[in-house]
Amino acid sequence: MIDWWDNQIQRADLLSARANSSRELLTFYAHLLRAQKAIYQYLRSRKGWLPSGDLESDFPVVGNALPAFLKVVEARGPESLASEARDLSERDDDAIAERLMTYWFSASDIQFFEKAFLQPYLRWLVETGTTPLGREFARGEHYCPYCGGNPQVSVLQNKETTAESGNRDLICATCLSTWEFRRVVCANCGEERPAKLGYFHTPEFDHVRIEACDTCMRYIKGVDLTRLGLAAPIVDEIDAAPLDLWAREHGYSKIELNLIGV
Amino acid sequence: MEVSRRTFIKTTLIGGAGVTVFGFNLAPVYAQTQGLKIARTTETRSTCPYCSVSCGVIIHTLGDKAKNATPQVVHVEGDPDHPINRGTLCPKGASLEQDILNDRRLLKPQVRRPGSDHWDDISWDDATNEIARWVKKTRDETFIEKDKGGYTVNRLESIGWTGGCTDTNELNFLAVKTMRSLGLCYFETQARV
Repeated sequence: MIDWWDNQIQRADLLSARANSSRELLTFYAHLLRAQKAIYQYLRSRKGWLPSGDLESDFPVVGNALPAFLKVVEARGPESLASEARDLSERDDDAIAERLMTYWFSASDIQFFEKAFLQPYLRWLVETGTTPLGREFARGEHYCPYCGGNPQVSVLQNKETTAESGNRDLICATCLSTWEFRRVVCANCGEERPAKLGYFHTPEFDHVRIEACDTCMRYIKGVDLTRLGLAAPIVDEIDAAPLDLWAREHGYSKIELNLIGV
Repeated sequence: MEVSRRTFIKTTLIGGAGVTVFGFNLAPVYAQTQGLKIARTTETRSTCPYCSVSCGVIIHTLGDKAKNATPQVVHVEGDPDHPINRGTLCPKGASLEQDILNDRRLLKPQVRRPGSDHWDDISWDDATNEIARWVKKTRDETFIEKDKGGYTVNRLESIGWTGGCTDTNELNFLAVKTMRSLGLCYFETQARV
């Protein structure tokens, strides 16, 4: 699974090197992915230790990775995140643990540090088959079956060798795992009427689209891997930030903000 | 960071070129947004009409729902969620878009006369009258009221009807009623889905 992190980092480096409007966002995200990969590697490489799924009891191990993570955000992030990173690095472990536990019980996409820091931990839980304990699971097909998180991005990819059309998966914003989801359904409210579901395309982002619902006025971005197989959905989703602003101007709000805040 | 999600999103864009609460400058992103040409499509699940396998399809229709704009089909693909075909389509089904959009589609009646090597245009009125005349003449000459045993059968064996796979339910309904009332026996609507 190290490869997965490397693929995301390479894609972020590639896209940020291109002259586009999202360069600042992607440059930071590439550094953030490296910091997340380091957390993941640290957790994975600990001999004789497997996560229990209870963040409170795992915190003594998980928390050790926080200082290095905060340094990256402090050095590479915008001023508001950097100052918050400085502030957090001066707090004691109990205060940090309390913040993380608050997020653990009630995740929110506007809590940057908690979400970004715990993503590698939750991904490691998924891979070890460990159930997250103590979390209030949101149930429903549009929530992650593993951790109950919201979808971050929708992905279309071929699963039948002879099919040209893409099966739809959703990637969890909290644990980065993937689950299958139906094609012509709102990923937020379950709306199925075609007239209520709008798909917005632009030639500038040929493989990325807005999948919006006129019933709940929420949207998620979809990355079509049948059009561009080299894309890394959570990275390309950030690269297509102009689509987010367009959607917001037209009255839609995102199901889950990404780690850049769009 | 004590801020509600609603407040967060509202403060993301101020005056069109703002920064996120995380502090990222969105001015260049916003500038690119202004130049985007966005098209809205709709995806409608349907069933391929061509054969009795009944494969699921997704029809992509371009249109912004404006009242003076006609939605246009731009793509048809197999429905990956359909249990029968799981996103696959045969070559004929894969060309379904051309059933809807096709420059070679015939938009007027034509007739090929006995012995002729080409098709001639004919008006709708002439076509309807000529078909009616031939049907009546054939029926009058060949209608079988009783069979050899003297049983009443009221059948017409000299005319056959063949429907098309893309005929609608409504057309097939009317065809059945009309042809049965004439006494037709050799009858095929190709309605199997």
